[in-house]
Amino acid sequence: MPPTILLTNVSKHYLMPRGRRVVGLDKVSLSVEAGQFVLVEGPSGSGKTTLLLTVGGMQRPSSGQVTVAGYDLIALSHSKRAKFRAEHLGFVFQMFHLVPYLNVLENICLGAGRKSDAKAQARVLVDRLGLADRWQHKPSRLSVGECQRTALARALIARPEVILADEPTGNLDPENTNRVLEVLASYCDEGGSVLLVTHGQEAYGHVDRRLRLENGRLTELKLEG
Amino acid sequence: MGIRLLLIGLSTERIVFRRTVCKLSLNYLGFCQMTTQIFNTDKALGFAMRTTVLLIWKELLHRKGSFFLAASVLTAAVALCVVVTITEDANQRETRRVTRDIGFNLRIIPRGTDMEEFYLSNYSDQTMPESSLDKLARMKNFSYNHLVASLQKRFLIEGHRVLLMGISGEQAPPGKKKPPMIFSVEPGTLHVGFEAARLLGVKKGDAIALGEKTMRVARAMPEMGTVDDIRVIGLLSDVQEVLGLKGQINEIKAIDCLCMTADKNPQGILQEQLQQTLPEARVVMQSSIAEARARQRQTSEKYAAFVLAAVLLVGAVWIGALAVVNVRQRFGEIGLLRSLGYGSQMIGSLVLGRAVLIGLISALLGYFLGTWLALAWGPEIFPVTAKAIRAMPSLLPWALFVTPLLAAVASLIPAAMAVTQDPAEVLRNQ
Repeated sequence: MPPTILLTNVSKHYLMPRGRRVVGLDKVSLSVEAGQFVLVEGPSGSGKTTLLLTVGGMQRPSSGQVTVAGYDLIALSHSKRAKFRAEHLGFVFQMFHLVPYLNVLENICLGAGRKSDAKAQARVLVDRLGLADRWQHKPSRLSVGECQRTALARALIARPEVILADEPTGNLDPENTNRVLEVLASYCDEGGSVLLVTHGQEAYGHVDRRLRLENGRLTELKLEG
Repeated sequence: MGIRLLLIGLSTERIVFRRTVCKLSLNYLGFCQMTTQIFNTDKALGFAMRTTVLLIWKELLHRKGSFFLAASVLTAAVALCVVVTITEDANQRETRRVTRDIGFNLRIIPRGTDMEEFYLSNYSDQTMPESSLDKLARMKNFSYNHLVASLQKRFLIEGHRVLLMGISGEQAPPGKKKPPMIFSVEPGTLHVGFEAARLLGVKKGDAIALGEKTMRVARAMPEMGTVDDIRVIGLLSDVQEVLGLKGQINEIKAIDCLCMTADKNPQGILQEQLQQTLPEARVVMQSSIAEARARQRQTSEKYAAFVLAAVLLVGAVWIGALAVVNVRQRFGEIGLLRSLGYGSQMIGSLVLGRAVLIGLISALLGYFLGTWLALAWGPEIFPVTAKAIRAMPSLLPWALFVTPLLAAVASLIPAAMAVTQDPAEVLRNQ
């Protein structure tokens, strides 16, 4: 079975003022199988977000090959990449990025793409993530943990092959952190792949692989325990 | 006990509040179900439309300040346009009514008139058949708005010299109904000029003997400071009878006969036309009055057009600026939608759809506000034609078409900003 995420010699350079070049990714190669929960750690500015945006098709690499869920992202047009994201990817961000004027259920449905059973699916996720009594609340009335669970439900609703999570537990207390990680782990058990970028060590107990990104270079670390 | 009553009061208030919220929620859910049923006919299209409409509507309700600012500016612009359009019509009518007192555009007099005498006495010493009026009215290629035939002679009443004048009813072009430009005279009555009334010592209701015919004073005119002050005006047929000139007139006065043209001589054109149809008549054109009237009208029209254009331009710039601010406020949201796979079409339609919706709401509010203002204040500004100031329902479809279009055009740049926004940049700067 082909890997869900396949990066081959991917580099990304940013041109800064006065011609300075900053390396985001430096010949990164990565293969993630279906069902794998992969953690990427590294200091700030090491290229973690660049890696996620590249895998998410929101940023073209300077060189290299990016294949996700069988799609060569570099070959896809702008509109086809948007369609690809809607059908095959889910995003979870540290700042949640919930639409402030939509309630929990509507925010979740936003991630459903064109699926006709969006509302029913959203209600299942609302129950599963402990948001049953909050479904009609707007983000301003939710706790940080509830906001992140809503964002997680939005990523899960389209049943994507891959979830890309950028510091999803960065603002959460230990209880909510554990809850989010458990949901992501169970998603992997059902065959999905997760690329989780984080600073912390809370996820060690849930992930299948640990990678370290430093100065744009990716190295595989040994999983403790 | 007091605290207990207070608590009961508070809980009652809460129940009422919850009931209200429940009712509103049910209404909202009903609306959602209805729109869902409509959109479900074509699922793909339905989804895109439903999501777009939901996002636009909820965003408007969420950012009420921005919505209110944009809608109020556009509403004011539409209202101003409606006021200007309605009152401009009244302004033109008012100008006509006011300028009619200066005189008429054309004086059509018998061909054999001694012009020296005509200018000295201000009327022709010759007469022509009254039927000339009908002939002129039916004349092809002759545009006019009002025609009045008159017969005027010096006349002695009780030893005092006056100008006795008979006027016919006003004739409007066939098939056109024009508001009268002069007063009408009832048979057997007279309108007596200020000086003539003083000399004769008559007032409204008095009788005056004109030769063998006795007539009643219908109105003693106020002082005009013109030749009108020694005029005694009656119905044409009455004056013809008094003067023994049955079926005769010595002038046809006409207004708005030709538009002012810079490169043509309207008097020459009309003279040529009259030669064939009315060989017994000649035309004298009061060109300075005609030109002044036309210029005044053109100036007024130009000014109205300038005001409308300026209002629309300011409204459009304001809407565009507010849309830019709105798009900037929503960078995070737009970046998120792009990361979720929403395409440029959808993102663009969020901005343009918002503008169109604001435009529609503003057009509706602006039309009614403008109409109300015009009807409330217009009669004070234009007292002479106050009754003619009416609502113009034909403006509503125009407002509903032009305002959303203008708002959408003004929002094209912000829409382009939203569409070309790099989601990676937004998400990176979270």
